[in-house]
Order: sequence, then structure tokens, then C-alpha cells
Amino acid sequence: MTAVTRAIAGTRIRPRLRGRELGLLAVVAVTVAIGSVSLAATRGLVAGSAPFNGGTFFADQLALVAYLGMLFVAHLVFVLSGRRTDQVLLPTVGLLGGISLLLMERLPQGLVGGLGLGRNQLLWLLASIALMTAIGAIVRSDAWLRLYKYTWAALGVGLLLLTFAFGHDVNGQRLALSIGPLTGQPSELLKVILVVFLAGYLSENRPLLMDESSNLGPLRLPPLPYLAPMIAMWAIALSIVVVQGDLGAALLFFAVFLILLYVATARASFVALGMVAFVAGGIVLYQAVPHVRVRVDIWLDPFATASTSGYQVVQALHAFARGGILGTGLGAGLPAVGGLPPGGIPALHTDFPFAALGEELGLVGIMAILGLYLVVIERGLRIAASAADDFRAILAAGLSLVIGVQAFIIAAGNLKLIPLTGITLPFISYGGSSLLANGVVMGLLIALSDRGVEPPPAPGARRGRFRLRDRGIA
Amino acid sequence: MTDDRARGGTALGNAPGVGKRPGIGTALGRVAVALTVAFGGLAAGAGYWQVARSADLSSSPDDAAVIAAGRHIVRGEITDRDGTRLAWTVKDSNGEPQRKYLSPSLSGVVGYASPVYGTAGLERAYQAELTGITPADPVQDLVKKFRADPSDPQAIRTTLVAKLQQAAVTALGKDRGAVVMLDPRTGEVLALASTPVFDASALADPQAAKAAMAGLQANPDLPLLPRATQGRYVPGSVFKIVTAIAGLGSGAIDSTTTFPEQPAAEKKGLLVDGFRITDGHPVTTAKPLDLVGATEQSSNIWFALAGLRTGGDALAAWAQKLGFGDPIPFDLATAASQVTGGGGDFGGGFSDAVELANAAYGQAETVVTPLQMALVASTIADGGVLMHPHLVESFSGKAGTKAVDPEVWRQILPAGLAQDINLAMQQAVNGTLGRQFTTGSQVKGLRVAGKSGTAELGGTGEPNSWFIGFAPAGDPQIAIAVVVEQGGRGAERAAPIAGQMLAAWKAWAGR
Repeated sequence: MTAVTRAIAGTRIRPRLRGRELGLLAVVAVTVAIGSVSLAATRGLVAGSAPFNGGTFFADQLALVAYLGMLFVAHLVFVLSGRRTDQVLLPTVGLLGGISLLLMERLPQGLVGGLGLGRNQLLWLLASIALMTAIGAIVRSDAWLRLYKYTWAALGVGLLLLTFAFGHDVNGQRLALSIGPLTGQPSELLKVILVVFLAGYLSENRPLLMDESSNLGPLRLPPLPYLAPMIAMWAIALSIVVVQGDLGAALLFFAVFLILLYVATARASFVALGMVAFVAGGIVLYQAVPHVRVRVDIWLDPFATASTSGYQVVQALHAFARGGILGTGLGAGLPAVGGLPPGGIPALHTDFPFAALGEELGLVGIMAILGLYLVVIERGLRIAASAADDFRAILAAGLSLVIGVQAFIIAAGNLKLIPLTGITLPFISYGGSSLLANGVVMGLLIALSDRGVEPPPAPGARRGRFRLRDRGIA
Repeated sequence: MTDDRARGGTALGNAPGVGKRPGIGTALGRVAVALTVAFGGLAAGAGYWQVARSADLSSSPDDAAVIAAGRHIVRGEITDRDGTRLAWTVKDSNGEPQRKYLSPSLSGVVGYASPVYGTAGLERAYQAELTGITPADPVQDLVKKFRADPSDPQAIRTTLVAKLQQAAVTALGKDRGAVVMLDPRTGEVLALASTPVFDASALADPQAAKAAMAGLQANPDLPLLPRATQGRYVPGSVFKIVTAIAGLGSGAIDSTTTFPEQPAAEKKGLLVDGFRITDGHPVTTAKPLDLVGATEQSSNIWFALAGLRTGGDALAAWAQKLGFGDPIPFDLATAASQVTGGGGDFGGGFSDAVELANAAYGQAETVVTPLQMALVASTIADGGVLMHPHLVESFSGKAGTKAVDPEVWRQILPAGLAQDINLAMQQAVNGTLGRQFTTGSQVKGLRVAGKSGTAELGGTGEPNSWFIGFAPAGDPQIAIAVVVEQGGRGAERAAPIAGQMLAAWKAWAGR
């Protein structure tokens, strides 16, 4: 009997209290509630009347109750599932999502259709946490990920080709794919598939990648047959930039790939080689692709084009500067923030939430948010370090890295440390694709953290030519 | 936490499949450290923008919050140094604040705050202070979010004298040009006039603004250009003072230096690499001129020779000390002055000896702003010390008054060398020959030192008319630069205006 069937049969499930998670969730609930009160108070003042003139002490009572309720339901589900999984990730994600909810309630609601920015985001957040909880509570076996890695890879490439062919443009980048009434950003799903494939491929070929090498002059290269996926990854990243104009996804994929390659092989020379390939590709792209050149030029001196192409970046830097150390307070930032010029930052809710938070929560708030992402990274790497085998270790590392590296890329872009790319800030940016994909990522990470999980499948169950004969179950 | 860590450590060592190969724990540890460092970099980046650059960016006139505040906040008043109101705010019929200005003569310096066209001049430079976005006190700034009314509009007392400003515009009349007057001892600017002027009150009036702006933009005389700070003119002979500063300062020449070939060259011209430099006004004396004589007669030949002896590198370097090469740090935006277009390999960016020789008496590729030339005069007047030019005496808000103190910008010349040039400039205004070139700049009861300039523009147009100087020559308290576009020779237009302005200053100062 597998764990799943046992779980369904209900024979072995014993609820297990999760005290740390509950305590942290209480802190999160109080923090988000205080933020909501602060926002409600400021709204009255900004409108020129008394605080709380909306007649309520919370910015959006229903949304607050629904969101915090969802977090506690998720906690309850984890308790009932009886698993010994990580207790820090849910509260961490919960706080990031809470900050997102407050920010989206605070921005002009008309930026999107439907129920408005705040309520739309609430629904996506609820769905994301539900997905994360379901995966974290139910998934016990990783065989479906491990055994079909090439299927996943094929699916990913197929998705990429579909986007190349049928995607439509958002702000000059081919990011969105519509299937019937559904529109999504495939790169968000793609990053999950990529990590699963890389975990399978790298764990299986780890011994060969580590022990063998071919020499090219003084350079020790990976064995030539295994260079192929590296070149393929590089080519995929380049083609994403060229065809889609999506610098962010390309950068994220390539960075995660290189870090995982290093994790699997511990060979810095591979990373160096990858970096050289990256720089070479970057130089070629700068010369050949106008979109890339514009982004890099803006990065080098946004103030030179402050009223045209550099407008977005310059306004974001001004927003950080206005925030100072303590920030203006939630809701008290620039009134036009998020709106259109003059004064607003275009695409603020998707590309620049970090700048908006920098203005309203200040350097202190920015530090706290960066700290939350570091917690996700450190928990994920810790799960990887205590994983039962290489596949799970690399998978856990990869899952936490797609969150952490993505957060780094967009935050660094907002702060003009690297050229700006249009990817989302995980769990904070507005958007369903990003929230759902990141929900899946965190769900898998929580599932992998289970310390009472069944052992990985025996080597005999594996497919593929490069079976690891020297492996055994401890 | 601790039990997790312990488990992680042991689980790694025993993980299946790891065998003799090193576990991935080490690599994971390094990745964790690298990412922590990377996030530390993000925090440092945020700190840079939110602390180091916070004041500068958030009070910039380009800041969206500063612009937004400018629309509905009652701005602080702007006054001259005697307390005369230059700009103030009234409520229009809709109760919206609207800016009024004392006189169009101020347009080039005070600028405007328009609901339609944004801001210019001091209204732009101090938008954050006038609207109270930036309180004078940094502690107030930090806690302002906890107050009901966070804004603290400040009044600005300028160093200007409304009467002198008006006198300058009257003296320039229908001509295009600029007058800069400053106190050489403190760097306080008393007048900063630019003509033609415009009516800033019309731009501040939402009903009249569009028609007024359309008229200004269609005007070929460019009234919106603040010529005193951003106009770039060929300097002609007033640049000889810069050459004298570079020559004396570098030690290439002294006040007694003469050039034996100079008297003969006054008649036939001076050949430099095949190019003939002449004086438009040959004065035939057989005796070689020294600094005083050359300045009095405005000898192109003597200054070309002095420039060649000084060398391109030194001339460019000394000009840079005086503020050339970069926009002058000032309350208002300024244009950069230049000695040469640069790029040449003759030294200092000059392309050859001909360019250097021509630049030394203010032609070639040399262009200057009136403010820059006023600073040159001010440096000589103040015994070789260049004070930071400034326009604001103090800011006053709820938290009190914050005065702007005079500041030495650069020590240029030893007092003795500055005195040599001072004497030469006195002779240029008061000497028998000098008076021919500077007619009109003399003021009864006030000993004026100065230098006129006639800047050839090429083609057939009238030259630009220049005068720079200071008074009283023995104890300088006011420095001046005057330029009149296509006003003819220095003596015809700029020198008389300088005379009028210095007389007006004398009357104002009660001397």
C-alpha cells in the first residue's frame, strides 16, 4: 500500500499538533491586521477627513477575514494530515501574501478588470494557498516526478513552442498564452517543470558529471555528452530572449540551472563556464536585439531618458527615495502611485510592487521582505540538505531557488542593480499565473520536507541507461 | 531549529547513493552563503536609494510627489534681501492657490510656478522647500508621517535686490542680454537679469497660461532662456582676464613680462603657424607692453603670446579652477563654459597653436556664460578667492529660520597676483587709452576696475558687447558681468550699462 492509499483509507492518520506554525501564524495574523488598520486610518487622512472615515477599522474587513481564515484552515489541514513537514514556510508565505493583499487594496482598483485589484488578488491568493496546502498535505510519493522527467521536459519544450507560436504580446514581450478563456504566463509553469527535469537529470547523472571530464587545453570540461543539456539550456534561454523578449524568465532559468549544476557536481569550473557562455550570449544579444539594448541602456543611465524610456525606472527610484528609512506608511505614498503619468509607475502592480513597498514601508519594510525571502531560501536549502536522496535534495534546492532567485532578479531590477526585467515578485506581485505556480512550488517543498516520508523508490524502479549501480537504500 | 540542523548534518552523510563522492551538503552551504550575500547586496542597494540618495531625489523638482504637492499647496513667499515680496500666492475665484510675481524683470531668476507648465527658476529649484515637502529640520522630516499636516511650506529670502534687478532690465532695454551682479566677498548674487523678460504671473494663471506660453514659445528672441546662467557667448577680450589668471598663476608670466616681437606685430599682425593675428585697434608704441599696458590697450597680440607661453594645458587647467568645463554648482541650472571644444592633442584639448593663441584673447572655440565671467571678475575682486555663488539668504518655516552661510569655493590666486590684475583692470577703465574701450563704465565717486570685450561672431552681424568688472577697486564690494547680444563694441553698449548698474548699486548701498 502506498502512503496515498493509506491516507485515503484513513487508517494511519493521526493528527499532529504544529505549535511553531500556529505561533508564527498568530504573529502573521496580528501583523497583517495591524497593516489593515493602518491602511484604513491613512485612507481617511489622505481623503482629507478624519481617520477611519469609512466607518470601519480595517481596510477591507471581508478580505482580511477570508485571507487569515484561509491561513488557519491551511494550518488545520496540515495538522489533520499528521505529517511531520516544515512549519515555517506557511507563515512566511502567509506574511508575503498578506503584504501583497494590503498593497493591492491600496493601489487604484481600476488597474485591472473583474472585481478590482484587491479582490482579484485575494481570490488568486486563496487559490494559491489552497493549492500549496493540498500538495503539501497529500503528495507523499515523488515517483510521478522522478520517473517521467523526459516527459516533463517534452511538456516544457512543447509549452515553450506553443508560446513562441501562439503567445501574444504584453508590453512588447510575448509573455501570455491564451487557451480558450484562460490566459496565463507559461514561463511561470515552465520554471516548475524545469526544476523537476533538472532534479531528475542531474541526480541520475551526478556521478558521471562529477568523476569524468574531458580536457580542452587547460580547461576541465564536463564529459562532452553531458555538455549537451548545458548547451540546450543556454540555447533555450537565448531563444526565450530573442523570440519572446522575456529577459527575466531567461535569466531566472539560466541562473537556477547553473546553481543546480553546481549543487549536483560541486564543480565551480562548470559555473564559470556557464557564466562565460552567459556573458558571451549577453554581448551578442545586446548587439543584435534592440529590446535588450534598450533595457541595458536604461539600466546604465535611466536619468538620461527620465521622461521617456527611463521613466518607469526613475519613478521607482524616486519612490524608494521618498520612502526613506521608515516609509510614508501604508496608503500614504504618492496618491497617483500605480496610476498613469504623471507620477505613477506604469505596471506597478506587476513589475514594481517592491518600489511601492519601498515608498510606503521604507527601508525597514524592504529589509523585512528581503528577510522573508531569505527564510524561504534557507528553509528550502535545509530541506535539501536533509533530503533522503539526491533527487529530492536537488528538487528541494531548485524549488526554493526559483522563488529566491526570481525575487532577487526583480528586486535588483527595481533597485537598478541589474537591468530591469518584467518578472513577478513571488507572492507579492499581482497575477494568477505567478501565484498559482508559486503555490505549487511551495506545496512541493513542504511535501518534500516530510521527515516521516516513505523512502525513495528502489534503483530498480528507475528507467534510463545511466542507472546508478553503486546506490542502495540505506 | 537545532534538531533540524543536526538531522541535516547526519542525513547527508548517510544519504543513499552518495557513496565516496562528497555529499551535496557542502555545495548547498556555499549556495546558501552566496544567496545571503546577494540579498545583502539588495539591502545595500535599497539603503543607497533610501538613505544616501533619499534627500536628493525626494526633494528634486522632478519628483512626482514634489510636482503633485506644487499643484494644491500654498507655496511659501519669495522675497528679496530687503524683504520686498518677489513672489506670493493668492486664492483665485475657485479657491485654488495662484502665484503672483512682483515684476517681469525677475522672470529669468525667480521663474514661474504654473498649474499647466510646471515650474522654472527658483520656483523649480526650491519646489520641495516652497511646498514644504522637505522641512528644514531632518528630525521633523523623519517624524512627519505621524503628524496630521506633514507639509511645512517655507518662505525664501533671496540675496537679490529687486531695485537692481529692475534697473538691469531697464538698462538692457530692448536688447537681448544679461547682467550678473554679485558680492565678491560672500558670493551673494544681487542681480541676475536676462532679457527679453516675460510675465510669469500670466503663466501662473490657469486661464491665461496657454496663450501666454504659446506667445513665448513662438518668440524668436527666446525669452524663456535664462541667459545669465544658461546663455553661452563668445567672450572676446573679457576672456583676457582668464588668460592673465592662468599666466600669472602658473608662473609662465608676471606683471612685468613683455614680448619683444609685440610692438612690430601690432602693425603687421602676429604670424602663428601661418595664421595672422591682428589687433582691430592698433596702437603704435615702440615700447613693448607689460600686463597693465596690454590690458589697458586690450592687445590681442600680447595676450596671444602670453597664452602661447602659458600653454594649452595650463590655460585649460586654470580655466577649470575658475569653473569652466562643468555646469557651475548654483541654485539654478547652469550651462558649462568652455575654453576649447576639446579633442585636440596640442595640450588641454586645443587642436593647435592657432586655436590656443586665438582662445587666449577670447575667440576660437571659447564660449562662456555671463555667470562664469562674473565669477572671474569676482575672483580678482576678492583677492584671488572664489566664493560659492548663491541666491538664497535663508529659509523660514515652522521650525524657524535656516540661514545659508557664505562658503569659499576655491582659492585661485595669491592675493598679490590678484592685485596685479586688479591694477591692470583699474587702468583699463581709468587710463587714458583704456577709457576709449570702456567709455561709460566710470561712476562718479566710485573707482571702477574692469575689462570690456567685443566678441566677433563671424559673418556680418554686430559683435557681442561685453563688460566685466568690480568696484570700489580698492575695496571691492560688487562684481559685475554684462553681455548684450550683438550690441556692438564693448564701449558702445555693455560698458555704459555696467556704469549705470554700478551707480545704482552705489545708491542702493548708500555710498
